[in-house]
Amino acid sequence: MSHGGGESRRLHDKAGHSGKRKLRVSGDEFARAIAKIAVAQMCETVGFQSFQQSALEKFSDVTTWYIRNIGKTAQFYANLAGRTEGNVFDVIQGMEELGLSQGFAGASNVDHCLASSGIVREIVQYIGDAEDIPFVYSIPPFPVARERKPVPSFFQICGESPGEHIPAWLPAFPDPQTYVQLPAGNEGDAVFNADKIEPARHHLKMDMSSMNLPQHFTCNGSGGPSSVTFGNSARATQWTESNPFLAAPLQFGEKEVSHLVPPARLSDEAAVRYPVEQNRIMDNHISVLETFAPAIEAMKSRFCDSEEGQKKVLLNQRPAVKFKIQVGKNSLAGAPDLSPQKIGIEKISKWFGKDSENDDKKRRAEKILKQSMETPSELGEL
Amino acid sequence: MNNTSSSNSQQQQQSSEARHDDDATLTEFLASLMDYTPTIPDELVEHYLAKSGFQCPDVRLVRLVAVATQKFVADVATDALQQCKARPAPVVKDKRDKQQKEKRLILTMEDLSKALSEYGVNVKHQEYFADSPSTGMDPASREE
Repeated sequence: MSHGGGESRRLHDKAGHSGKRKLRVSGDEFARAIAKIAVAQMCETVGFQSFQQSALEKFSDVTTWYIRNIGKTAQFYANLAGRTEGNVFDVIQGMEELGLSQGFAGASNVDHCLASSGIVREIVQYIGDAEDIPFVYSIPPFPVARERKPVPSFFQICGESPGEHIPAWLPAFPDPQTYVQLPAGNEGDAVFNADKIEPARHHLKMDMSSMNLPQHFTCNGSGGPSSVTFGNSARATQWTESNPFLAAPLQFGEKEVSHLVPPARLSDEAAVRYPVEQNRIMDNHISVLETFAPAIEAMKSRFCDSEEGQKKVLLNQRPAVKFKIQVGKNSLAGAPDLSPQKIGIEKISKWFGKDSENDDKKRRAEKILKQSMETPSELGEL
Repeated sequence: MNNTSSSNSQQQQQSSEARHDDDATLTEFLASLMDYTPTIPDELVEHYLAKSGFQCPDVRLVRLVAVATQKFVADVATDALQQCKARPAPVVKDKRDKQQKEKRLILTMEDLSKALSEYGVNVKHQEYFADSPSTGMDPASREE
């Protein structure tokens, strides 16, 4: 006891120190530190001269747990009685419940009056015996509660809600200009995001697809998987216009060819929208595309003539994405990754070799394009 | 019949009187709480009560919880102190050391967990926790 002041001061230092150390852990350090000081003070009163740090931490933890449990059970009893605010009897009931493991006078009587509960009598007795030792420090009320400014409701703004189905007490809508033009912005965002995300994503996917090619083909017939493997947000917007179930049976070879077709158009379009971003792509590939444009155009028209109108639509739209895949891959991945891709393409061509003359032609054009597309990217790297 | 009913009503009257007394004592006790300053500060109790969802504007209830908690802590600490005193003194080599240890009462995890287990709180001491029993001693021994 003779070291009382010194000890509590030291404790305070320690508590502050540990609080700093655990700053990121819980955010409740101030209360914990105060609880520790209070518990240490009480232990000192009881007769302890010193303590293990871990024991003190545990003890203060249990103490706060005790307070919280009293509050919890008291609130429970208050709610049970149909009230939101607790009163003395709720607190006493909570304390009785916590004291059940210990037992108290009159606990066996279920109908005992709460006002004369054994717990209360014990507390009265304790107060009579115990010394009145106030807390060593004066504490400001905490935590500091900031005034919250709620969003004004319909009622506060104009007195009534815009629709009958909207209660007037709900928070009002934000300014119309914040959401009126949202759809357009969304679309742009989607395309933009697709542009940004696509390279990395499809780089991965192409590798995977070249490795798992056989499986890929087996499930390609159903159409769903193919759309899933190559699905992205830009593609999703196209889906709304074309029937996905018609898109499904589209053969791999067809896709490969078709993706060569529109790049010129696409990159032109895109360049208008995102000049900066598309510049690098154009540097690399536009020349190739332009050289092949007539041949592709001719072949495509021939191919599409034999098909139904809807498929034509599909082909016109689909390639936009496909080509971007290629661009992204080539510009990002460079030479080393081209070999698996090439193997994949060759496998594809083997698969579709017997299919039809159309496919054959497409394959040839594709190969030529492939080779020519490799060179610019390599040059670019050099 | 008449007798029993009258005795019943008498009992009721008595019990109602007793209840009235109880109410009075309870009110008195709550009022007396305002004069008593518990060691656990009101702010701390308020904070944790608010955290547990309990809401009540009455300060006396906060005091009541504070006093109840203080009693709980005091009880546990007393039990731990008894455990500490009942434990055989640790083997010491140095004479001077022995003198010190005999008079030192240290709240250790071992005693605390034993004391708490009686209150329904199971505390398992970490087997390999690096917390030497002399943790709280160093500055004091430095002083001496």
